[in-house]
Amino acid sequence: MWLSILGLILGISLGLLTDIQIPPEYANYLSIAVLASLDTLFGGIRAHLQQVYDDKVFVSGFFFNIVLAAGLAFLGVHLGVDLYLAAIFAFGVRLFQNIAVIRRIILAKWAEKKEVRGTI
Amino acid sequence: MKKRILTRFTAIMFIIGLMAAIQYNTINEPNLRDTRDEWEIRQELSREKQLHSQLLSEIGSLDETLNKYRAAADASPEQALRETAGELRKSAGLSEAKGPGIEVLVEPSLEAVAMGLEIEGISPDLLIRLVNEINRYNGLYVSIDGKRIINTTAIRDINGQTAVNTKPVDTPPFSIKIISESMEDSKKLYNHLLASRILDDFYIDNLTLNVSEPQNELVIEAYDGTVDTKYLQASEGE
Repeated sequence: MWLSILGLILGISLGLLTDIQIPPEYANYLSIAVLASLDTLFGGIRAHLQQVYDDKVFVSGFFFNIVLAAGLAFLGVHLGVDLYLAAIFAFGVRLFQNIAVIRRIILAKWAEKKEVRGTI
Repeated sequence: MKKRILTRFTAIMFIIGLMAAIQYNTINEPNLRDTRDEWEIRQELSREKQLHSQLLSEIGSLDETLNKYRAAADASPEQALRETAGELRKSAGLSEAKGPGIEVLVEPSLEAVAMGLEIEGISPDLLIRLVNEINRYNGLYVSIDGKRIINTTAIRDINGQTAVNTKPVDTPPFSIKIISESMEDSKKLYNHLLASRILDDFYIDNLTLNVSEPQNELVIEAYDGTVDTKYLQASEGE
């Protein structure tokens, strides 16, 4: 767990320190990619907690979601329809659902632990 | 197995962090490129230098006033105040101004007279352009047809007649008096007006500008209305 947080901190500091910038036209795509990756991440955590985690699904989902979201946004720009809203909506809803499930699982585990301790 | 999951998560978190940081960089400091060439930068520099010297001279004059106040504080503060008030009135256009300047006569063009065209009044737009042109070349005090131009002067169309300070301007010929800071400035303005494209603009309206040689002593009358200070606010200084 701490290692992954370290990875996050490392990524953020690397990004901030190197001061990499992308053209502002592509900022939209990147924001959607961030959302997609967050969605995959929380999906992975949930799957892990539910003991259905699959490595291939996780990694492929990560890249596929990002590409799909960016592709949708790209298509939307060229068709004049704000299709990236669809991606944002889908990922946003899924993010909330996943976090809710994770919360429930953690709460249940916590209650279980408490009960076990109580019986001892 | 557990280790592998952790590695995957760490890698994904790293990518997320990197993307978020890049997004943050992009949103917060859009890459503004300086596309000015050397000449434009030179111009900018000269503008700033001009501002610098102007500010310096302003500081000098304010220092002078301050010294005068200090010197006169014991003797007669009233006198110093009176002098300052007089200076302020002068720069606001509330008192008569004297100095080197030129007189510009706006007349109907010879062709218009020869063709028997009806002479119409000057248009406010043209007059505003002329005043802008004069201000560009350091015209200090200006009066149009005896109407003094001050900071709040409006040149506009009132009921079909061009008015300055809400008083109508005569149909040409009428004269415009311009006082500059020095004889040199007057000469500069004189040459500029002679060569300016504004002459063509006047000619389109069947008018000509007759610019007189710079004179040493030109008198411009004071602004005769009341200055509305309803919206003035005290500046927050020291």
